[in-house]
Amino acid sequence: MKKILMPLLMVAALALVPYVGVEYAGLGYLFGVLIPYAAAFLLVAGFLYRMVDWLRRPVPFNIATTCGQEKSLDWIGQQKLECPPTRRHAALRVLSEVIFFRSLFRNNKAELRKGPDLAYGSHKWLWLGGLVFHWSLLVIVLRHSRFFFMTPGPFFQFLEDADSFFDVTVPALYMTDVLALAAVTFLVLRRILDAKMRVLSLQTDYFPLFLIAGIVLAGIGMRYVAKVDVMPVKVLMLGLMDFSFNPPGEIGALFYVHLFLVCVLAVYFPFSKLMHMGAIFLSPTRAMPNNSREKRHVNPWNAPVRFRTYAEYEDEYREKMKKAKLPVEKE
Amino acid sequence: MLFCGAALAALVTITALRLDGGGAETVPAAGPAAVDSTVCIAPTEYMRSHHMKMLDKWRDEAVREGERTHVTPDGRRFEKSLKTCLGCHSNNRMFCYMCHLYANVKPTCWNCHLSPIEIPPQ
Repeated sequence: MKKILMPLLMVAALALVPYVGVEYAGLGYLFGVLIPYAAAFLLVAGFLYRMVDWLRRPVPFNIATTCGQEKSLDWIGQQKLECPPTRRHAALRVLSEVIFFRSLFRNNKAELRKGPDLAYGSHKWLWLGGLVFHWSLLVIVLRHSRFFFMTPGPFFQFLEDADSFFDVTVPALYMTDVLALAAVTFLVLRRILDAKMRVLSLQTDYFPLFLIAGIVLAGIGMRYVAKVDVMPVKVLMLGLMDFSFNPPGEIGALFYVHLFLVCVLAVYFPFSKLMHMGAIFLSPTRAMPNNSREKRHVNPWNAPVRFRTYAEYEDEYREKMKKAKLPVEKE
Repeated sequence: MLFCGAALAALVTITALRLDGGGAETVPAAGPAAVDSTVCIAPTEYMRSHHMKMLDKWRDEAVREGERTHVTPDGRRFEKSLKTCLGCHSNNRMFCYMCHLYANVKPTCWNCHLSPIEIPPQ
């Protein structure tokens, strides 16, 4: 129970910090300008550090995981995506993972029934929930470009129009707001309701979920319920994009809660499991082509060893060997 | 399947039992355009963040319920109409346009109504 409540309390406390700071201490400049810059710097620097660190690690073995037929005899079909023979196919496999969460689609669940009888079945809820969650967040982030750019361009306009397609409520309800909230609720409940998942889950699993839920709730609250004047928000955001240090105008405290939680997420990102965003492109089991039978994989850890062949040995001692009547290969 | 069936049944029931389905009721006459103030219906700060909510509320109350008079907390009376707003705010043709362009927000008002920017200057 503690590992669920602690992250929840932490997110609540973090949400309270900017509220108190702006409402009662007038720290709008700190929470509106300084902290966002620091958080953005830590996100970029931390992300690059982790990626470069991983890229420099040697891969001693070719450990591509496969789940399909490798190239074999002509009359045996080859599954190029499941068992990628080239880097191009491996890249395609990684992309299908990134875009469609392909391996989660194969998720199974084991269930002990009366009998006793162990039954396995397809279990696609995590795949669906995860896909909805990630795609909604992507659309939400891209949609926010209307705050960061003067005119975001036709693609972002299309995204916004499509997202508010149903045109209910004023301002128009975004589908992704509902979907993201539903998906994050499912992802939390999935960990809490199942006994097995409850044991497996850690504080670091709950914290990002609660944090993202807090960000989404603050954003939804700002748009639909406790309205915030959007003009000074855009002035501030355009200013941040220009690296200006102008103080923010009069903005409701809820905006600072939203912004500060985003900053917390940005700082938390490089030091946590959220790095799977970059790591999925580097994981050797997925990103390496399975070509160990065509191409020798040399461990980069191997120190250069000076071998002495028998031919070299014989070249050196041939005369002595002949005198000792030892057989030689070359006269 | 069962869930879809139940949802459909519930939807049909709700639609059938709707109170305003008749269409026989008399539409009350529009109230007088009682603009008795040169000051806005609410403080500027409030209107900046909440004007869309206010317009939406006015639209619902005036068009759907026929209550066309808005009384402010300090007792001033206004007709719930876009004309009331534009009575003052159309003196700047860019009034709506500028901010909505800047914030990249496209209101649906001008799908039907005439925007101040569409009225040629005298």
